[in-house]
Amino acid sequence: MSLWYLMLLPLVGAAAIFVGKSSVSKWIALGVSTVVFVISIVMAIQFAPIWGTSLDGFTSHVPWLNKLGVTLDLGVDSVAMMLVLLTTLLTPLCVLGSFSAITFRVKEYYAWLLILETAMVGVFAAQDIILFYVSFELTLVPMFFLIAIYGGKNRAHASIKFFIYTFTGSLFTLAGLLYVAWTYKETHLYDTWSFAIHDLAKFASTDLSATEQGWILLALLSGFAVKIPVFPVHTWLPLAHTEAPTAGSVILAGVLLKLGTFGVYRFVLPMVPEAVVAYAPMIAVLAIIGILYAALICWVQDDIKKLVAYSSVSHLGFCVLGLIALNPIGLEGAVLYMINHGLSTGALFFLIGMMYERYHSRDMNAIGGLAKTMPVWSFLMVFFVLASVGLPGLNGFVSEFMCLLGTFSASASNATWPGVLGPEYAAISAIGMVLAAMYLLIMVGKIVFGKVRIPENYEPHPTLPTDLSKREIGILVPLAALCLWIGVQPTVLTDAMQGSVEEVLSPYPAIVQQDVPTETQRIEVKDATDG
Amino acid sequence: MNALAALTELSKLCAMPAVDASAVIYASGMHWASFIMWMPLISLVLCGICAVYKVRSKAPAIITVVCLATSFVLTILLWHNYQGPEVIHVFDWLNITWEEGSFVANFAFYVDSLTLLWMLFVTGLGTLIAIYASEYMEHDIGKGYTRFFAGVSVFLFAMTCLVMGDNLLMLYLGWEGVGFASYWLIGYFYQRPSAVAAAKKAFIVNRIGDVGLALAIYLIWTTFGTVQYDEITSVLETHQYSASFGGWSVQAIPYLLMLAAFGKSAQLPLYVWLPDAMEGPTPVSALIHAATMVTAGVYLIIRTYPLFMLEGSHALEVVAWVGGLTAFFAATMAMAQYDIKRIMAYSTVSQLGYMFLGLGVVTSYGAAYHVFTHAFFKAVLFLTCGAIMHGFAGQLDLRRLSGLRKMRGWKIVSYTMLVGCLCLAGFPFTSGYFSKDAILAEAFVTQGTGFEFLGWLAIFTAGLTAYYTFRVWFRVCAGPVHFEPGDELHGEEPSNFHPHAPRFAINFVLVVIALGALLAALPYFMPNETEGLHGGWIAEMVNDSPAAAGVPGAVLDSAHGVNIGHEVAHGDILGMDPHKAMYYISAIVGFIGIGIAFFIHLLSRPTADKLRSTMLSNKATRWLPTAMENKWYIDEFYIAVIRSPLWILGKIFSLFDRYFIDGALVNGIAAIPRVIARWFSPLHNGAIQSYAISMFGGALLIALLMLFMPEILAFMQTLSPDTANEQTIATLGGGK
Repeated sequence: MSLWYLMLLPLVGAAAIFVGKSSVSKWIALGVSTVVFVISIVMAIQFAPIWGTSLDGFTSHVPWLNKLGVTLDLGVDSVAMMLVLLTTLLTPLCVLGSFSAITFRVKEYYAWLLILETAMVGVFAAQDIILFYVSFELTLVPMFFLIAIYGGKNRAHASIKFFIYTFTGSLFTLAGLLYVAWTYKETHLYDTWSFAIHDLAKFASTDLSATEQGWILLALLSGFAVKIPVFPVHTWLPLAHTEAPTAGSVILAGVLLKLGTFGVYRFVLPMVPEAVVAYAPMIAVLAIIGILYAALICWVQDDIKKLVAYSSVSHLGFCVLGLIALNPIGLEGAVLYMINHGLSTGALFFLIGMMYERYHSRDMNAIGGLAKTMPVWSFLMVFFVLASVGLPGLNGFVSEFMCLLGTFSASASNATWPGVLGPEYAAISAIGMVLAAMYLLIMVGKIVFGKVRIPENYEPHPTLPTDLSKREIGILVPLAALCLWIGVQPTVLTDAMQGSVEEVLSPYPAIVQQDVPTETQRIEVKDATDG
Repeated sequence: MNALAALTELSKLCAMPAVDASAVIYASGMHWASFIMWMPLISLVLCGICAVYKVRSKAPAIITVVCLATSFVLTILLWHNYQGPEVIHVFDWLNITWEEGSFVANFAFYVDSLTLLWMLFVTGLGTLIAIYASEYMEHDIGKGYTRFFAGVSVFLFAMTCLVMGDNLLMLYLGWEGVGFASYWLIGYFYQRPSAVAAAKKAFIVNRIGDVGLALAIYLIWTTFGTVQYDEITSVLETHQYSASFGGWSVQAIPYLLMLAAFGKSAQLPLYVWLPDAMEGPTPVSALIHAATMVTAGVYLIIRTYPLFMLEGSHALEVVAWVGGLTAFFAATMAMAQYDIKRIMAYSTVSQLGYMFLGLGVVTSYGAAYHVFTHAFFKAVLFLTCGAIMHGFAGQLDLRRLSGLRKMRGWKIVSYTMLVGCLCLAGFPFTSGYFSKDAILAEAFVTQGTGFEFLGWLAIFTAGLTAYYTFRVWFRVCAGPVHFEPGDELHGEEPSNFHPHAPRFAINFVLVVIALGALLAALPYFMPNETEGLHGGWIAEMVNDSPAAAGVPGAVLDSAHGVNIGHEVAHGDILGMDPHKAMYYISAIVGFIGIGIAFFIHLLSRPTADKLRSTMLSNKATRWLPTAMENKWYIDEFYIAVIRSPLWILGKIFSLFDRYFIDGALVNGIAAIPRVIARWFSPLHNGAIQSYAISMFGGALLIALLMLFMPEILAFMQTLSPDTANEQTIATLGGGK
């Protein structure tokens, strides 16, 4: 098996959709994406022997532009593999979720979805900076068309804004990466360029000066922070989410936002450790502002989709905190957060889409009391809201807890993993936990509970039943099962990511200790039990 | 002598006994105990299946009762086999280990006698109340019946995790789990806006406490390197319970735990959710909001008692003050309500205040005993309220019900309610009398800032309690027969209304729990097996836990044989031994309260109304009844000071986001290319002459530039004379 199957099969599927009739295109898309998912599961099983190590699996070297040193090298470590699995899981569900919603230009729609899958897998699997960047930007094209053609009323504006905003940001990322590649070549006096991520990261982290690292951090973040999104470069997200079709929102929240956090994990943390240590407090402040600011905005929204979109801004703030906590528990929490947010927020967008298909409204003041008319929908809505709120036993809790614990313990006095954040950061961002409960439960209170309210011009959907159909339940149940499973058995995933995480973090303790004089105050349990 | 010194003395002497990590048995043969936790979960799953198949019978109730009863029996077995603290591992949950350090929080039970004490009444009352609910909820068969019992199962599962967990994270799981079950069940009548609002409020206010617990867990982990109880205790032992080792963090932990406990147990300033929680069905109020869940805060503090008793800590004094003040204020609110269920709700807040006062004055024994007796008598009080509500179509107003004990079929309700009232009022020789006295007396024994004042306040509150309790009973059960139905008539004509007297299941449960409430006085008299211990069975149960410091006569450090009973610092009350004096004082105060209630609510009911109207018409006294009836305007205060400003801030942020960040910044920057394009677009006007002019102008510009390049470069050099620029200039100049 090779990662190439995961990238090429969707493209083949897209081609087949173009050739075939439009009535079968959804089945082709479903079939192909399911096969891709099965393959990725098989790969995950094959990957098992090196789960938990920092090794890359399924590496394949394919030369591309030899003179420039650009390759098509692929390979995944456990973290990338998990995100690949998230992608290949969400894609068939998105296809399935579009069956009744997409009624025109069907062929194009499914083809773009499959191309998007290729691009997303490419981002996670790329071992070469150019391939990474190409895939990173390639995700914009299908998403642009998905929003621009199948979106809501304001789709033209939203799609252009989405495209230009994220594209502009990532140009700086490219510049930063190219600068690293260029200095690598110049320093070693090589004749050809090399764009291998591992080599460049190692080089940049050791050979570049602190000032250079600072500039590279800025360049990288200008792309990744827009994607995550971090306050104040988040405003494209609510717009894109509200206008995107359901599947577009799901992919956007589920995977595309993670391209930003994954970028931080894969590039920022290993490449520019000194700059990260220097600027982590600033980034953390932005993340915390994002958590609280977006949460308060969520509270006053009337549009349920916009509410969930802003909640992503708030939630991803926790993820960013975990990323820059610079200790294993925070970083593992952050990676887990990427997956969990993809599952639960993805499911929330599915649910909102299902409601919208029936009522053609997302206004929480116009719709209400759905527990009476749509009990199954309501049950699942409450379930995923609780996962999102961070109820222990479900997935969201584990990652949120770990991110905050990581942030909390990331003070300079921590003996094993000194960091530059600390209790005060965690304490302030923990207010976000209360606010999250507030806006999400208010949303549930309005839309699920209370007296039945239905928009005036409501007409029953011609094909869909009042409550969820079997197909729709089939989309949500796997997500619910995963939320529960991760909530109960998170250790399976945290063990798997350990090697990768520790490799990323390996330079940090020394750098932090160098920067900040430490006092060891921490008590070891071992001492206690010995005494 | 101040509290500091007393507590220092205490904590020095008691090297926090009993639980020695090395002594904890990691049980292997006790895996069946995990079924105490699994049974409610099985019940939940079966109820779920019932929901899917839309079962229209009492099956969910039967399933739940059977499962909970099994849990109860297993708990008794576990108690029977109990030989000392044990850890029972169920499965790995969050178990992360890296090179140095680990975060281990597994699904595992820590079973000591404190756990057992709690589990016994949680599962026991849970079973009984489920039986009661099987009849009480029968109107909803086919509608919400299954949902209700599923909620009860979730609650019992979460409560089991909370009480039995061997680490703070599992406690947290249960903590939020019971909060969620409470949300589920308060919002049971989900089409009623007030129920939805109450459910939401309960969850959100509890969340504030939960954040405190989460932060406490972070702090404990960073300080102790573990979140498991036995390991925390052993770290404390190594450091001999001095607070010096962890700096500010060890001192801060108890305050964060307190925030959590005050949220869950409805204490000032976070009590506001509990009265509203009465929107839920009454069995829920009895089980969750009186007997079990709200005592979780007390459990949390008892469980982490050593952290509160570290040298130099003022934490327990704060607990005592919050508890004492809550007890008093809630009692004043209870006095002025007309809804009997709300009276019971405020009474619960008040009684919980007593428990915290007990914890604060270092009698974990008194607090635990009061938890135990309160669970029974408050459950019976709520359940009788429920029976009345059920029978009189939702009527709960004590002005519209009278003389129930003389009506056919209502005798059991009336007299079981009387039992509950006697216990709550602290009538001599009832269970409430003994458990409350244990706390009151200790307020005079232990030395601390203002403890004596708190003691007198609590005695006064006991009088208020007796008054409002019997105000209910004399109004509702005594006097001439009179009733008006409520508004939940289910199609009946109000004029033709007949009360529905409770049937077997409800009456049976009422009698059993009322007997339990009476018998809860017995443990006080049981002989103590442990030498030197006073206080009977409850003292035995608490003695074998981290909170043994608060048990009278406990031998706290077996190694040194030091006995710090009361002899360490024994205060007095009016020159008498507080324990003896309290028997008389509280009895007298109770009689006065009951007497006043008897006079103005039974003998001469108009007197009470006249009193109220006199007070209202007098300017000087008007504020008192108004404030009491409006619950001291605390809800309004929170809305004005916290909720509204935050909401307005949200609105402002929303506009700021739209018009400033997105509008001015993002679109502004995005508009720059367009604006620049606008400047130049007139050049493209299609007239050949203008193109010629611009061509000429451009050529001239270039020519001038080339001509004066060295001068320009030299000028730039004077502006920024740094090396990088020099190089650039050099290359540029060379190029020219």
